[in-house]
Amino acid sequence: MSLTATRPAPSAPAARPVTRSYRALEPSRTGKVVRVVLLAIATPVTLFPFYAMVVLSLKPATAVRFPASLLPWPLHTGAYAQVLGGRDMLRWTLNTLVYSVVSVVAVLLLASLAGYAFAKKRFPGRETMFWSFLSMVMVPYHVTLIPTFVLISKLGGVDTYWGLILPTLANAQAVFLMRQFIGGLPDELFEAARLDGCSEWRVFTRIVLPLCKPILATLGVFVFLWHWNDFLWPLIVGQDTHMRTLTVGIAALQQENVPLNVVLAGATVAFVPIFAAYLVGQRYFTEGVTMSGIKG
Amino acid sequence: MATTAGTPRRRALSRWETRTGLLFVLPCFLLFLAFRFGPSIAGVLLGFFDYTIGDSPTFSGVDNYRRLLADPTFWSALKVTLFYTVLYVPASIGLSLGMALLVRRAFRGARFFRSVFFLPVVTSLVLAGTIFTWLFSSEGPWTKLTGSSWLASTTLVVPALVLVSVWSRFGYGMLIILARLQDVPRELEEAALTDGAGPWQRFRHIVAPQLRPALFFLAIIETTNSFQVFDLVYVMTGGGPAHSSYTLVMHLYDQGFKYFDFGYASAIGVSLFVMTLVVALIQRLILGRNR
Repeated sequence: MSLTATRPAPSAPAARPVTRSYRALEPSRTGKVVRVVLLAIATPVTLFPFYAMVVLSLKPATAVRFPASLLPWPLHTGAYAQVLGGRDMLRWTLNTLVYSVVSVVAVLLLASLAGYAFAKKRFPGRETMFWSFLSMVMVPYHVTLIPTFVLISKLGGVDTYWGLILPTLANAQAVFLMRQFIGGLPDELFEAARLDGCSEWRVFTRIVLPLCKPILATLGVFVFLWHWNDFLWPLIVGQDTHMRTLTVGIAALQQENVPLNVVLAGATVAFVPIFAAYLVGQRYFTEGVTMSGIKG
Repeated sequence: MATTAGTPRRRALSRWETRTGLLFVLPCFLLFLAFRFGPSIAGVLLGFFDYTIGDSPTFSGVDNYRRLLADPTFWSALKVTLFYTVLYVPASIGLSLGMALLVRRAFRGARFFRSVFFLPVVTSLVLAGTIFTWLFSSEGPWTKLTGSSWLASTTLVVPALVLVSVWSRFGYGMLIILARLQDVPRELEEAALTDGAGPWQRFRHIVAPQLRPALFFLAIIETTNSFQVFDLVYVMTGGGPAHSSYTLVMHLYDQGFKYFDFGYASAIGVSLFVMTLVVALIQRLILGRNR
């Protein structure tokens, strides 16, 4: 009661010391002023690049001089007409969607299958296999890059969706997180279903997956974001213009001396879906990134 | 359960369990075999081969490594990468810590500020790179503000890249630190306050020890990330001017996918792997010493 009161409570002297120290941990008046000032600096600085991206994309190609270029008017949508009018941008968006969505579905399915087996099934070599999966987190992406590319190109996977997607599905962090989560679920749930005559696949789809919803959402957002923003692998595998993802396409626009307003219009188009998703499901973004990061 | 362990039914069950277990792990296992285990071993082996596209690999012993040690571009790329790491890691962790302490307490709008600071983390480095290239360009505000074009300067180009990386990553560290800050026992801080400890003393003796694992974790992960810096360099500078921002992964990319010198590029990859292992080893040593 009075523990949470921040206003002075003279009628309850016994609770007073607690109340005081609770309040005193809050910053002092100067502390609060400092906080407001620092936030008033940090917030615009953090947001400024986004503002510049949007405003400059709405300028004619010649108006990129600072500071006049940063006024939000007059608006000029020519860059968007150019970006969205061409076929490339739509194709790149489609490619990015395929890359991200297919990967999310596949990684979630594969990792929850493996995670369930590692957590709840006994089979020979289980621990060895699990730890050897996990050890792969230590090997940098770039050590495997060349052999993976050689393998994919030998199999004819350059400039194909499967060549792009398949190598990214071996996700050790996802397997680890799923095993941890499923390991925390009580065995009785699965036993009961099995005694009722459910097949293993049914137990998995009807009991394991629904129980995993929270972790699947968080992990899914993380995998989606990772693929949406991925650059090096799509750059290598998508050699044809039509097989570029948005990141690769925008980097290419920038290097081909396309006018800045057009490049930034492309960047804005690529950013909007992530931004919209971030506004809606922010909790999943922060959880996904921090949780997966912790497993480094 | 122990009483039924030997019955035929129980044995049949466990055989069944073994089979489904293996079956469920199998798809993942095959993918790991093809795209993680296999390439990891092949990546190390390829370093000992002369191999370009369309040719078959021929064993060349340590030739690639001999060449690596005599390659001035490799040494300069290593220097650039380490310079970048030395600037980036303390700067990003410092800012993350500062921002975490700033938005730590609940106040009106705290949640809003946290989401603002996390927004760059979900933004791709390619987008960040395109915007910041303009900010640093001769017409951009940064050049007007500082009076020099950082991306055109051989000494300022790496700090410029570090600034962009810090902008795009500090929100991540901030969240990691915030999560740890929640575990700092409130009673302890209150007790210290009652004993007359000022804000710095409370931070130094109560908060900081609690944060040490998180800061340590961040240092390791950010160091490893820094060794692999590529996207921003590719988009913003291409390694220039005059190779002054040419990093190890840029070198690997050019050797592997511009000149298709797969053997040599693999040797560069192995050197990155060794650097990562050294960091992991230092981590083990320090953790071992602490407890």
